Amino acid sequence: MNKMNETVGAWPELLDTARKLWWNFFDWLAQVEWRRLAIICIILMFLLSILGAPQLAICFILMSVGLKVLAGGKRKAELEAREAATHLDEESLERRLVEAQMAALQAQVEPHFLFNTLALIGQLIETDPPEAARVHEHLIAYLRATLPQMKARASGTLAKQIVMSKAYLSIMQARMKSRLAVSFDVPAEIESASFPTMMLQILIENSIKHGLEPKIEGGRIDVRASVERNVLQVEVIDDGIGFNPRSAEGVGLTNVRERLRILYGNRAQLMIEAPAEGGTRALIRLPYTPDIFAGGVQ
Amino acid sequence: MNPNLRATALIADDEDAMRAQLRSRLRDVWPALEIVAEAANGIEAIALAGQHQPDIVFLDIRMPGMSGIEAARMLFNRCHLVFVTAYDQYAIEAFEQGALDYLLKPVSADRLKTTGERLQARLGKQPANIERQLSALLAGHGGGSGGKGTGASAAKPEYLRWIQAVVGSSLRMISTREVLFFRADEKYTRVQTAQSEVLIRKTLKELADELDPDEFWRIHRSTLVRVDAIQEVTRDLRGRQMVKVKGFEEQLEVSRGNTHLFQQM
Repeated sequence: MNKMNETVGAWPELLDTARKLWWNFFDWLAQVEWRRLAIICIILMFLLSILGAPQLAICFILMSVGLKVLAGGKRKAELEAREAATHLDEESLERRLVEAQMAALQAQVEPHFLFNTLALIGQLIETDPPEAARVHEHLIAYLRATLPQMKARASGTLAKQIVMSKAYLSIMQARMKSRLAVSFDVPAEIESASFPTMMLQILIENSIKHGLEPKIEGGRIDVRASVERNVLQVEVIDDGIGFNPRSAEGVGLTNVRERLRILYGNRAQLMIEAPAEGGTRALIRLPYTPDIFAGGVQ
Repeated sequence: MNPNLRATALIADDEDAMRAQLRSRLRDVWPALEIVAEAANGIEAIALAGQHQPDIVFLDIRMPGMSGIEAARMLFNRCHLVFVTAYDQYAIEAFEQGALDYLLKPVSADRLKTTGERLQARLGKQPANIERQLSALLAGHGGGSGGKGTGASAAKPEYLRWIQAVVGSSLRMISTREVLFFRADEKYTRVQTAQSEVLIRKTLKELADELDPDEFWRIHRSTLVRVDAIQEVTRDLRGRQMVKVKGFEEQLEVSRGNTHLFQQM
């Protein structure tokens, strides 16, 4: 009885192995190169003729060729589709991950900036109410531009980014007074170009925080935009204390670089330069796409 | 507190409006306190404190040139210090633990009265030795000014994070995070990024010494590769290990002496 059971028990296992081997063979057949298959067939024929069973060889060859013709195409397509799917999965996963990280970063309105601005408004209410109202207005413009953008996925226009950065810089001018000069040189016709959100702002905040705020006499920030051969170039130039090559790249610049890579691949670029006359020059280059829905400048 | 107790003070803050605010609040709360000088940065604060010898110095924490905390280290045994800040979470916690005097902007009259009382109790006595607290603050606060050129007091070694390369007439700063690998190329070193390739004069040896050894590995006498950029390591027909870098065709050879970097391959 026991023995019977064992043999019965072994059958499905054997079948399973046979099935697996068959499918392995099938897979191999589907994927193997024609040339290699031909060589194997010839060797097999040679061996089996020596053994005196050439019919078997012919059988094998016919079967292989038949199977390969039938299965090869389908199998190949299947494999390619699977690979493409995993690739796509990886890419979209990476994209979603980076987007999430970037959104979290964008959400950070620097508390130091916010509290200092509120303290300033408090003081101005007592000493210079019209100025207080102006700073207050700029703060609202800045927050309005910063906060909803975290949620909105659509990238903005250059004009929108500039409005926001102007509000920010006006606040910084109210705080730093004569220590900060600002100029914008952006031709009106390119203001409707699409430009990813917060990138200009990150470059400007970097210039303020690392270039000009630590500099006793302060300095100036120039923002310039131009289009050449369908490439939009936006530059932020300051004459601050310049770059320390040993300071780690901040989250802001990493954020800009990663987002550019995801949005434009190799067609966009973030470049940082140390001009001979001092300070820092940061520039973003990306494909120029006028936003036809922008309907002019806001 | 006694509004008529005579004393002298100095206010240091880089923002005019904030100095004006503190001055006017002090005038309300402690009219007999004479503001002998105002400074717009840490360096000025030290100079003016030396010149006027005030009893009290109000120090903003974030100031250009020298932070309030750095300035405090040079002033603490000469006068009583009060820190002023709008937002410095780390510093505020430290102040509370170390019982240092501090004010939050905007300064309220009530809070200023409390500070005034404490100051009046201490006037005429030797200022507390707060060197230890200040050192701890500086270490944790990265110098307080947070600038990229000013945080020189960091304890851990600072590795090279930006490669400077002359491109045309300008000096390009390339983040080490952008670099795929460095390769010695006769007199120059080739810096390869996903988008460009530039030559710099710094030798591979100098780079190897200055870069973070966890960020870049030396896989060959003439090659430094960024670990995060490595996609895979394979063996070629001759049994050499070859490194493939993300998004780049050229394969980099691992020399025999460095194969331990990629064990279990």
